[in-house]
Amino acid sequence: MKHTHLAALACCALLAGPLAVADDPSPEALAAARQVAVTTCASCHGPQGRSENPKFPRLAAQHPAYLAAQLHVFKTQGRGDPDAIAYMWGMSAPLSDELIDGLAAYYGGQKPARGIRSGAALVASGKSIYEEGVASEGIPACASCHGPDAAGTDDFPRLAGQSAQYLLKQLASFQSNMRNVAVMHGVASGLKAQEMNAVAAYLQSIGS
Amino acid sequence: MNRQHRGSTQLALAGLAIIAFAGTARAVPSFARQTGMACEACHTVFPQLTHFGRMFKANGYTLDNLKPVRGVTATRDEMLALTGLPPISLMVQASETWLARPLPDSLAAGSAQNGSVAFPQQISLFYAGKIAPQLGAFIQITYGNDTGTIGIDNADVRYANSLVLPQDRSLIYGITINNNPTVQDLWNSTPAFGFPFASTNASVSPLAATAIDGTFGQDVAGIGAYAFWNESLYAEFGAYRSAKQGATNPITGAAAPLDGTTSNVVNGVAPYYRLAWEQAWGRHSLELGVYGMDIKLYPGGSTPDAPVALTGPYNRFRDLAQDLQYQYLSDEHQVTVAATRIHEQMHLDASFASGASANAGNDLTTLRIDGTWYWRRKLGLTAALFSTTGSADAALYSADPVAPGIGVVNSATNKPDTSGWMAEVNYVPWLNVKLSLQYTAFSKFNGGGGNYDGLGRSASDNNTAYALLWFAY
Repeated sequence: MKHTHLAALACCALLAGPLAVADDPSPEALAAARQVAVTTCASCHGPQGRSENPKFPRLAAQHPAYLAAQLHVFKTQGRGDPDAIAYMWGMSAPLSDELIDGLAAYYGGQKPARGIRSGAALVASGKSIYEEGVASEGIPACASCHGPDAAGTDDFPRLAGQSAQYLLKQLASFQSNMRNVAVMHGVASGLKAQEMNAVAAYLQSIGS
Repeated sequence: MNRQHRGSTQLALAGLAIIAFAGTARAVPSFARQTGMACEACHTVFPQLTHFGRMFKANGYTLDNLKPVRGVTATRDEMLALTGLPPISLMVQASETWLARPLPDSLAAGSAQNGSVAFPQQISLFYAGKIAPQLGAFIQITYGNDTGTIGIDNADVRYANSLVLPQDRSLIYGITINNNPTVQDLWNSTPAFGFPFASTNASVSPLAATAIDGTFGQDVAGIGAYAFWNESLYAEFGAYRSAKQGATNPITGAAAPLDGTTSNVVNGVAPYYRLAWEQAWGRHSLELGVYGMDIKLYPGGSTPDAPVALTGPYNRFRDLAQDLQYQYLSDEHQVTVAATRIHEQMHLDASFASGASANAGNDLTTLRIDGTWYWRRKLGLTAALFSTTGSADAALYSADPVAPGIGVVNSATNKPDTSGWMAEVNYVPWLNVKLSLQYTAFSKFNGGGGNYDGLGRSASDNNTAYALLWFAY
């Protein structure tokens, strides 16, 4: 039953927005992307995408296809959470497809940021939710999409080592549908605040 | 208080009233239109900068997310890259000011009117944004109700470029041409963009301010080279020279060359330097820095009865300042604490020789600290302390420049000491509209607490309440 449910969710996820497939960028595009990443994106997302500010997501080691898809969604103003509107709608507007692929490859190729330690009890509780879901509330295991080690896939983002505060903000955006992704709206709507805190703490702690 | 120091010590030395635009700090919606990003990307609330705002400025105001109007050669060399929208903004300030005790009437027995309405206090037009790739500008033209005229206000034209260094560290480097020392700076702890961001022009300004503390805004022009390494270490070196507005050569009637009839002319060039380190951790950032200037001035002010050329003795002001800025920025709370200490050594060879100062040398120290807290960028509170202290000088500070028996702007103790506190409440219904209530309280003014002018006026009589409507579009 759970697997059927997840399959349906995954199907919805694939239909939720344009998930561009990143092409292999040219050396010129990679060089241009590195220049942009180091001199512009790094001001918020940190050196090589290892942000220490929880307002801005860590992009290091994120899947290039996922990053490219998000940049395309920002560019078409299809993602409506407040920070997307305030920052990324503008930032993504002039990006060419080639530069998007270059940026995605740049960040995808970086060493992941070190995780952030959290309370042991919270982490244990979060790990359980991540790996097994909350059966009583029909919440599927996060691991079934984001992978057993939260490393993500082309379609589902890497969450390992991501800041808990950032993750919680995204869950709130999914819940309110400001970030309109059907799968995550369902998950976030079912999770209690304490469960969200636990999962976020666990994910943040991976690699710490 | 920095914006109130127009009648500064230095310029008073030669009896010159400086160009009188209030010179308040700005933030402009044309940047938001150009970048496609909300004000919050660059500001806590205008004009206070976030880290990204500092980087935008260091990069020459050139980040442009609009489709450009382009021109290329047959070999695809870029000849033109005009921003899709002209980077023009308009800013309006309207205000009302109340003094704790009305000023005396300047001629008759009685008092001047209290409760001064300024509509507008200022209207400014900005060119603020990209000119061409790597070239940007922040140029402000202001109508002020104090002068009743339109003139140049703060201006900062920049060339900026960047390098990617090994280990993906960045180096931003550039050149700034500007007309107000520190207007080009990236932090809100230095004078030009420091608190208060707006202040009344209908109250009493203290006698003394250091040279670098806004005294020469729009009176000089300078060129500086800067580098910002890894978004952490900032260094700048520049030099300023007199660039008077409205001055003319008496022989030709042209705008220059300046001669002895012009007051307070920079001898040669005045070097300016700046070094700062910013460290970020989590949502916090801390900046520590030093800045300074060394300015030599010919008093000038030649008249047929007292001719003087721009040669011979000059006054020299050596300013060395330290500054600090801390920020904590979340979606709910935006906290900024800024502080600076400016120490000035004056060598007054020219003024001492002419009797305009009683001492051949004086010193002046200004200390300011302010803390601002905003809740959701909607409601803000600021508290600030300010203090200026210095050596007593019977000639420099005691004169009653308006008329004998008027007082108010002189010092009975011959001292420049002024200190007190400020509080401000802000409501920001939209990110480009601000309503402010500001209160300034003086514990000491021009050297004294009670009867500082020798005519019965107390420092607290100059306490000022100020209500401001400020918007930009």
